[in-house]
Amino acid sequence: MRGGQTGPPDRQETCGERVEMTVTDEELVARSIAGDTDSFNQLILRWERPIYALAYRQLGREDDARDVVQDAFLRAFRALPGFKGEAKFSSWLYRITLNLCRDVMRRAKRAPFVPTPEGVDIADMASSDRSATESIEDVVTRKDLGRHVARAMSLLPEEQRSAIILKEYHGLTFQEIAELQGCPLSTVKTRLYQGLTVLRRELDRRGMGPSRAESRTP
Amino acid sequence: MNDSRCCSNPDVLMSYLYEDGPAEERLAFEAHLRQCERCAAEVASLRSVREDMTAWAPAETLLDFRIVREPAPAKSRWGWMSTMPAWAQLAAASLVVGVAAGLSGLDVQYGKDGLAVRTGWNRPAGLRPAAAAIAPAGSADAPWRADLAALQEQLRNEFRQPGAAPAVARASTTPAGVPSRGMSDDEFMARVRQLISASETRTQKEMALRMAEVVRDVDTQRRADMRRVADGLGVLEGRTGAAVAQQREMMNYLLRVSQR
Repeated sequence: MRGGQTGPPDRQETCGERVEMTVTDEELVARSIAGDTDSFNQLILRWERPIYALAYRQLGREDDARDVVQDAFLRAFRALPGFKGEAKFSSWLYRITLNLCRDVMRRAKRAPFVPTPEGVDIADMASSDRSATESIEDVVTRKDLGRHVARAMSLLPEEQRSAIILKEYHGLTFQEIAELQGCPLSTVKTRLYQGLTVLRRELDRRGMGPSRAESRTP
Repeated sequence: MNDSRCCSNPDVLMSYLYEDGPAEERLAFEAHLRQCERCAAEVASLRSVREDMTAWAPAETLLDFRIVREPAPAKSRWGWMSTMPAWAQLAAASLVVGVAAGLSGLDVQYGKDGLAVRTGWNRPAGLRPAAAAIAPAGSADAPWRADLAALQEQLRNEFRQPGAAPAVARASTTPAGVPSRGMSDDEFMARVRQLISASETRTQKEMALRMAEVVRDVDTQRRADMRRVADGLGVLEGRTGAAVAQQREMMNYLLRVSQR
């Protein structure tokens, strides 16, 4: 995993708040097991954004994702004495989160909810996630593309979707994904390839695919 | 050139796309890409998809989950009681009550006089009759009480002077209506009943008198109120009549003015 054991690795899902990163997850876990609740709260602070992002992309609904994050940390806290450190804390947390997401989807018996592309809010476009060099038009295009990606992702089977999410947004290795999904390494790569192929086709169909990308590359 | 080991082989494609696996394999695949347009196009399009995927960001939300340990509640002095089984609590309570009753010499009697509860501590002062302890409130000033007291006093006097005075003298000192010393139990009870009956008669008369007084007072008050209401209505009627007359006069005036 990118970033090793000191904290969340993802390029996008790092915490907005400044977190003390000199202490490793293992140290915080050990302290938490010894009864130091503050240490576990540091782990929450460190991992809540990645876990939320994972749950959100799996479920596609903000309130469901928030519930899953809360449940995941609560479940992890309760099960902490039984955590032997055989896997990384983050992998353990991802596994809990994926299981909870699966439960939610099973209960709801539905595919991930995807917000409709219409209703673009200009005020939202100009919100804080706009970089200094990005124009409003670029933000609108990016948000629109994001919605199309979300819609295309919702069409994927759960295994393919979670494999892509874990690889693309959380930077897990093939081996880590294989362990999380309980399947061989080659299966993970196949799922990734098939998933990406479906995404490419769907984005192409919506006029958002590689053909458009070719036109925008210099 | 097509190499079946590389073309559309997810294992190789994904390893290359995500920069995973040994460097030699990656270098070999790069060499293949230079010669295979199909694989090069595949890799380029998949890279483009990956690039597009960065546009999908999760919705902004506020996450403020924290684990908070609530302080353990302080153990109360009698906290151990709550862990005791109910049967044990009941047994302990019965034991305490039993010991307390034994120590205090509790004596509970239920007879024609009603329920009487006495403790050993009250025994020295136990000359007081039990019935007195349970006499209904409000009976202290009952009219028959004076008669009964007089009878009691008379009996005591007679007991204090056993056979000292002749029957004639006793009879002369006995107030009218009080039974003589040689009275049998039946006569005594008849006398008591007579006294109670007289007392009830007096009470009934007194009640009737009181009721008559109350009825008279209410009637007087009612008459006064009716008179006051009638006066008020008369005043109102007079005022209304005056106002109506004034209105009529005004209307007549207006009619006259309009006809001119």
